[in-house]
Amino acid sequence: MDDSTVVKKCQNGEKDAFRTLVERYQRQAAGHAIAILFNREDALDAVQDAFIDAFKAINSFDKSRPFYPWFYVLLRNRCYKITAKKRETESVEDIEIFAPQSGLPSEERFALEKALHSLPKEDREIITLKYLDGLSYDELAENLQIRKGTVMSRLFYARRQLHAKLTGKLH
Amino acid sequence: MNKINCEDVLMAKMAELDAEKPELSGEQINLHLKHCENCHTEIEQFLNADTLLKRQARNQQDLDLWLAVEKHIGSHLKSEIGWRPFALLGALLVAFKLLEMLPDRDFGLAFKLVPLVFVIALFVLIRENPFRINAELVLER
Repeated sequence: MDDSTVVKKCQNGEKDAFRTLVERYQRQAAGHAIAILFNREDALDAVQDAFIDAFKAINSFDKSRPFYPWFYVLLRNRCYKITAKKRETESVEDIEIFAPQSGLPSEERFALEKALHSLPKEDREIITLKYLDGLSYDELAENLQIRKGTVMSRLFYARRQLHAKLTGKLH
Repeated sequence: MNKINCEDVLMAKMAELDAEKPELSGEQINLHLKHCENCHTEIEQFLNADTLLKRQARNQQDLDLWLAVEKHIGSHLKSEIGWRPFALLGALLVAFKLLEMLPDRDFGLAFKLVPLVFVIALFVLIRENPFRINAELVLER
């Protein structure tokens, strides 16, 4: 069943249809929230609250559009609210943004995670969306609610920062 | 005189490498790169980090949030039901009682079952099972 059919059912008050959306997107959403917050517990709280927000606002959603970019905006808002009253960030050893089976030696993967961890959350977010989700500039602009030109410059500075962190220039 | 600065060229080159349409033409980019060693170095560094990142996949989280979400949206749905169906049921039961009190009227046995129909209709309307056991209730000591 595609998203627009499921959303239509949700808009008709079928709570169980919403379960399909939660089960379809919860893992993806958790991965995105962890990349922003670098704290699993906070990330799961943010995902849960974003789904509740989505359910409450589902009637205002235009079902001709894809569900996830709309949901991502809600998720992002939740993540940013949490960062405003943030708990202690977990140590970088406790968080794995990248899948262990990526083929990269674990030391290099850890160095990359550490470098990402030290970036501002906006930079970390755009880099993970670009590389781990393979979003195009248009999709990045839609998800992050910024112009395409801003995507280009933000991505450029984020990559530059990441490279500097990786090579230890900015310790 | 070439007025394009290095950052503009790097941004455009990276967009090009990402298979996006850059804001500068290929000719402008190449012309600048021909004479700029710093940009060359930076593009190489970018490509190294790019290769590293492209080999990564996102770690899939093993989780099931439905029960937690359902708990909250369930209470949201219940709060939307509001007091109206219950007020309507009350009014119907009062009307039934008044009819029943009319002297010298006998509406038969079926009439006596009307309140039961009202109550069943209400539970169907609010989608609640009155016989469901609430496992979350805890006995107070």
